[in-house]
Amino acid sequence: MISNKAKKQIDAWVVKYPEGHQSSAVMEALKLVQAENDNRLTPDTIQAVADYLDMPGIAAAEVATFYENYNHKPVGKHTIRFCHNISCMLNGSDELITYLENKLGVKTGEVTKDGLINVKKVECLGACVGAPMFQIGDQYYENLTADKIDEIVDGLK
Amino acid sequence: MADIEIEIDGNIVNAKAGEMLIAVTDREGISVPRFCYHKKLSIAANCRMCLVDVEGAPKPQPACSTPIADGMKIHTQNEKAKASQKAVMEFLLINHPLDCPICDQGGECELQDVAMDYGSDVSRFTEGKRIVVDSDIGALIQTDMTRCIHCTRCVRFGVEIAGIMEMGGTGRGEDMKIEPFLSEGIQSELSGNMIDVCPVGALTSKPFRYELRSWQMNAVSNIARHDLVGSNIYTQTYKGKVKRIVAKDNDSVNETWISDRDRFSYEGLSHVNRLLTPQIKVEGTWKEVEWNVALDFAIRGLANNVFNTHQSDKLGALASNTATLEEFYLLQKILREVGSENIDHRLNVKDLDHAISLESNIKLAGLEGIDHALVIGSNLRLEQPMISHRLRKANLSGASIDVINAMAFDFNYRLNSENIISPSQTAATLAGVLKSVLQNTNIEVPDYLAQIEVSDITTQLAEKLSQSDNSVIVLGEHIINNPQASSIANLVGEIAQYSNSTTLNVSATANSMAANMAGFVPGKDGLDVNAMLTADLKAYILLDVYPQYDFHHSIQAVEALSNDDTFVISLNSFKDDIVSEYSDVLLPIASFYETSGSHVNIEGKIQSFAAAVNAPSDAKPAWKVLKVLADLLELPGFHYADSAQVTSEVMHQSHKQHTHDESIDVKVKRDVNIIWQKSPYAVDVLSRHAASLQATKIGQINSASMNKATAKKLEVAQNDEYLGVPVDINEAVSNNCVFVNANHSTEAQS
Repeated sequence: MISNKAKKQIDAWVVKYPEGHQSSAVMEALKLVQAENDNRLTPDTIQAVADYLDMPGIAAAEVATFYENYNHKPVGKHTIRFCHNISCMLNGSDELITYLENKLGVKTGEVTKDGLINVKKVECLGACVGAPMFQIGDQYYENLTADKIDEIVDGLK
Repeated sequence: MADIEIEIDGNIVNAKAGEMLIAVTDREGISVPRFCYHKKLSIAANCRMCLVDVEGAPKPQPACSTPIADGMKIHTQNEKAKASQKAVMEFLLINHPLDCPICDQGGECELQDVAMDYGSDVSRFTEGKRIVVDSDIGALIQTDMTRCIHCTRCVRFGVEIAGIMEMGGTGRGEDMKIEPFLSEGIQSELSGNMIDVCPVGALTSKPFRYELRSWQMNAVSNIARHDLVGSNIYTQTYKGKVKRIVAKDNDSVNETWISDRDRFSYEGLSHVNRLLTPQIKVEGTWKEVEWNVALDFAIRGLANNVFNTHQSDKLGALASNTATLEEFYLLQKILREVGSENIDHRLNVKDLDHAISLESNIKLAGLEGIDHALVIGSNLRLEQPMISHRLRKANLSGASIDVINAMAFDFNYRLNSENIISPSQTAATLAGVLKSVLQNTNIEVPDYLAQIEVSDITTQLAEKLSQSDNSVIVLGEHIINNPQASSIANLVGEIAQYSNSTTLNVSATANSMAANMAGFVPGKDGLDVNAMLTADLKAYILLDVYPQYDFHHSIQAVEALSNDDTFVISLNSFKDDIVSEYSDVLLPIASFYETSGSHVNIEGKIQSFAAAVNAPSDAKPAWKVLKVLADLLELPGFHYADSAQVTSEVMHQSHKQHTHDESIDVKVKRDVNIIWQKSPYAVDVLSRHAASLQATKIGQINSASMNKATAKKLEVAQNDEYLGVPVDINEAVSNNCVFVNANHSTEAQS
């Protein structure tokens, strides 16, 4: 469930912490394991990480369910992380999220039939100056409008 | 202890610098509301209910996590404190369903009580409330997690006390849920304490669900008799039935915790298998009769078989280890008055000529202060949960723990070393340890140790014991049927003496300490249990004995008791087919919590208890039955008005010791050894009849574990049956050893 490559990378994180505190590497470990398992975590993979770091499964699950950057449902090739916090909301993010949902024919949290895209509402990404905004991969897209969304989303492959 | 002075609500209070404020207010009897604070758990300060006003601090401070300092002025009741507490209360109630009318916690709920004092009568919250879908966490604990206020007491209990983190807080913000992972159910042997620590109705007792309100029940202080601790409990009763058991605080015994076995075994009391009426066997058929008829029949049977022919030495008495101190005492007194010394309670010991004899000389609370322990032959966590808990506490504060076992078990603390050693090599290993200890202290090594080899392992074990100031050696149940049991115990005694360690003998459980104190052991000319079984006795008096569970030599026992010319009087709390087959009289007796009496714990502490309820139907407390039996036999000295008079008589007599073998045999014999253990929830007749306990993972333990090599030798495979128990091939078991954890009869045991 955890590849040897990932294990090596986890080990590199473990040594950064004092001996006996290997569980501190859980966030990186979850990230690495998620990356090689269709970009999502399942109870089994979480348990595998916990076992590898010699910590209780529930303790790893606490971390995995706390942070936004871990997925627990199937995701598309591209995840559109749409900010819905105050600046974006005041600038119309709610209407744009609905527009995007209608355009893709899915609700937030669901994946399009072709497995290409899913939409996730996230908390503030620190780009209030360009609200409303979303993130795809490492790229921020700011000052969104319906037309701009069409252009960006239609360009995703 | 008065280090500093602080002022609370205008009163000067003495306290220790650095104590948490809430500990001081609790001691002074000043009420500060709280949910997440628990005196035996770490401080979380996440419920914010205990906010108080500290002069000089800009904001109200949580009393549970505010260390006090000299001259501090604290207000727990002023406007600022009250306003903060009321505000927190309002937030806590926002997502609470307020379903008190259908909640089992109603009437004993900390949230309900605090809401009465600090809550508002009208809610300003008009939005939708949060709902949490429940998960099934096993047979013992009912969850209603919508009621949870996220105090995390259950989470901290798991991490800090049970030693297994089973509950956790997943998600965050409004979506946070307290739940176990992978819904396998809660596994801990102490899990029921989560019910006690939960301040709301999120975790409640499953067997007790929708039964009663707490105010409808009577709480009677009682003592649990399942292990060597004698945990203090409250038996809560309603209309003559025990409905629930909760822990009672006693820091020197069980602190605030009790094991699940102590908490849930009461369910067995109302099992349909209870023996309810006296019965006599006339020409092979059972007849229900009045007590006086049954007792007359019993007396006549004894007269015919024993007294009239002047062979009192052909009478034997056997009792299970769960009897009370008074029952043990009265039964042995009857036997000794009529001239028989055939008395024994060590039914599960294979070879009584080589039985364990080792004193315990450390207090339960003292176990917390040790700096090293050597545990030999015990799965302590499941066998003596509260003793294991004390060792865990010692371990967490730095004590090292070494283990010598025949199989690797789950310990909930880190071991310094775990030595998996064949039963046949245990004595030799300990001899090596003794030799190392003697060499360390420059004491001459006796001849019998000359041939013993000192290995790295024995040297390390010995060094740890010698170097520690306060070490204890724990001798466990798995040793009782080791062919070299007495040698092992004697070696432990020697090692303890020369390494200046204390000893803790947990090899016999339940109320076995009481049996020894009451003199329920064979006298000088008496027979022990195994000798009785081959001595063709003419009559027996048996106290709550179930041969297929209690005897090591169960087949011989049933044969001996079934002899046509042997008259058997059985005092039993439960019906049992085999007992019915060999008995001539069945006298129904009270079970746990239905009789007054005493438990003697491992410290030798006598803890007396009253009956919480009457025994069902015609069943009577065994001490009364034995007293009447003595009266009918016209024996002198049985004028007791209550069981307390018996207790004081026991305390004033000298204890009878059974003789023991002082030799030490350290030879290694290479044959397969069987360690036969009753599984943790099958140790006594009451636990065996408690449905919810039996439905847990621990309750279903039933396997004969052995490694591949042993299985090959015995020609068995996985899931075959060995001695009537499913085989589990497990490399955690040492070589040449079968470790049986059986929850049923030992029918095929040799």
